Amino acid sequence: MNDHRWAESVALYALDALEGQELAEFEEHLETCEACPAELDDYRAVASRLVRDETASNETWERIQATIRADSPDVTAQPGPPTSRWGWVAVAAALALLLGGLLGWQLATTGDPGSENIVTAAENAATSQDSIVADFLVEDVAVAQVVLTADGKGYVIPTDDLTGLDADRTYQLWVINTAEDVISAGVLGAQPEPATFTWTGDVAGFALTREVAGGVVSSAGDVVSVITDL
Amino acid sequence: MSDSDLAAAVSERDETALEAIYRQHGGAVKTVARRVLNDDALADDVVQDVFVTLWRAPERYDASRGSLRTFLLTVAHRRAVDVVRSEVARSPREEKSPPPETVVDLDSEFWQRTQSALVRQAVADLGDDERKAISLAYFGGLTYIEVARELGEPEGTVKSRIRSGMRKLADVLGDVAS
Repeated sequence: MNDHRWAESVALYALDALEGQELAEFEEHLETCEACPAELDDYRAVASRLVRDETASNETWERIQATIRADSPDVTAQPGPPTSRWGWVAVAAALALLLGGLLGWQLATTGDPGSENIVTAAENAATSQDSIVADFLVEDVAVAQVVLTADGKGYVIPTDDLTGLDADRTYQLWVINTAEDVISAGVLGAQPEPATFTWTGDVAGFALTREVAGGVVSSAGDVVSVITDL
Repeated sequence: MSDSDLAAAVSERDETALEAIYRQHGGAVKTVARRVLNDDALADDVVQDVFVTLWRAPERYDASRGSLRTFLLTVAHRRAVDVVRSEVARSPREEKSPPPETVVDLDSEFWQRTQSALVRQAVADLGDDERKAISLAYFGGLTYIEVARELGEPEGTVKSRIRSGMRKLADVLGDVAS
């Protein structure tokens, strides 16, 4: 029985019911706590018992099979963990974000706040020591800046050096978390303007890609830039 | 084969081992993803992502921490929650979400029919408030703050109910939880 002050957080964490600062603080605590991991395992096992089984579809298996067979030999020949997180990210970029993400959404670019206000908000957010501030570079030229505050408010500010795309294409922003998953943070459109997004999980990097209009679940691999040196 | 054996086979690029894992657990992975996302196509994407990730990084599964099923469902739930926690994703999802009473899966007739008697009884023994809070958090993909808002209860009360409910379930199901 875990009776210390984190007891409630363990159950909430097991159900993914924490976010933001509380999530970050608990994950930090989890790294050193002796009692919480065992209780977390108990709760996760319980949660898994609450889920009913159903027949797994052949169609989804065929998609999985096609994906793993399309993997680069360079990746499949290395079943062990990556020796370097940054090394892996570089590989991921080169291999067209093979892990893929989950979905692209249109990032908020209009309304409240407007583009001008978004830029101002991003500039203010960038002054905080707790914010992540990084540039997407193409041949050492910044094509966009990304700012992410500690409470999960994100801003993407394109520069004039980010060229527009045809109407049937879009820029798409991806977050790379510390578990090396690549998850879509949203689409920027063909003619990107300052935009906001929200990301409350951990962050190891960002990627900017060109995709078909509307965004994609898994990147087709047209990588504009990857940020790994946060 | 044991979970450890299957994971080891996947590490050695045994595709039949991955398929065996998928056939055994893919349906449950789909279930949890679909409940959180309320979208069949997105749930399929999560299922694919979970199993492709297992293929590429099987070392992430640690048999000492629990079963392969628990690991896969944990990953799937996290992925699904990551999707819905995007601010820009949240509005459309809320617009098409079913009303709260149908979100509370643990009270649904279908759930009652399809779960084992042991799990059913353990859930039935929970207080209504505990059951609803756990259901909204897990199957609804809500934070405890959102659960509190949904139920019109103080956040601290909801935290306590989720914890007490999960503790009760763990005490009953602990030795047999897979």
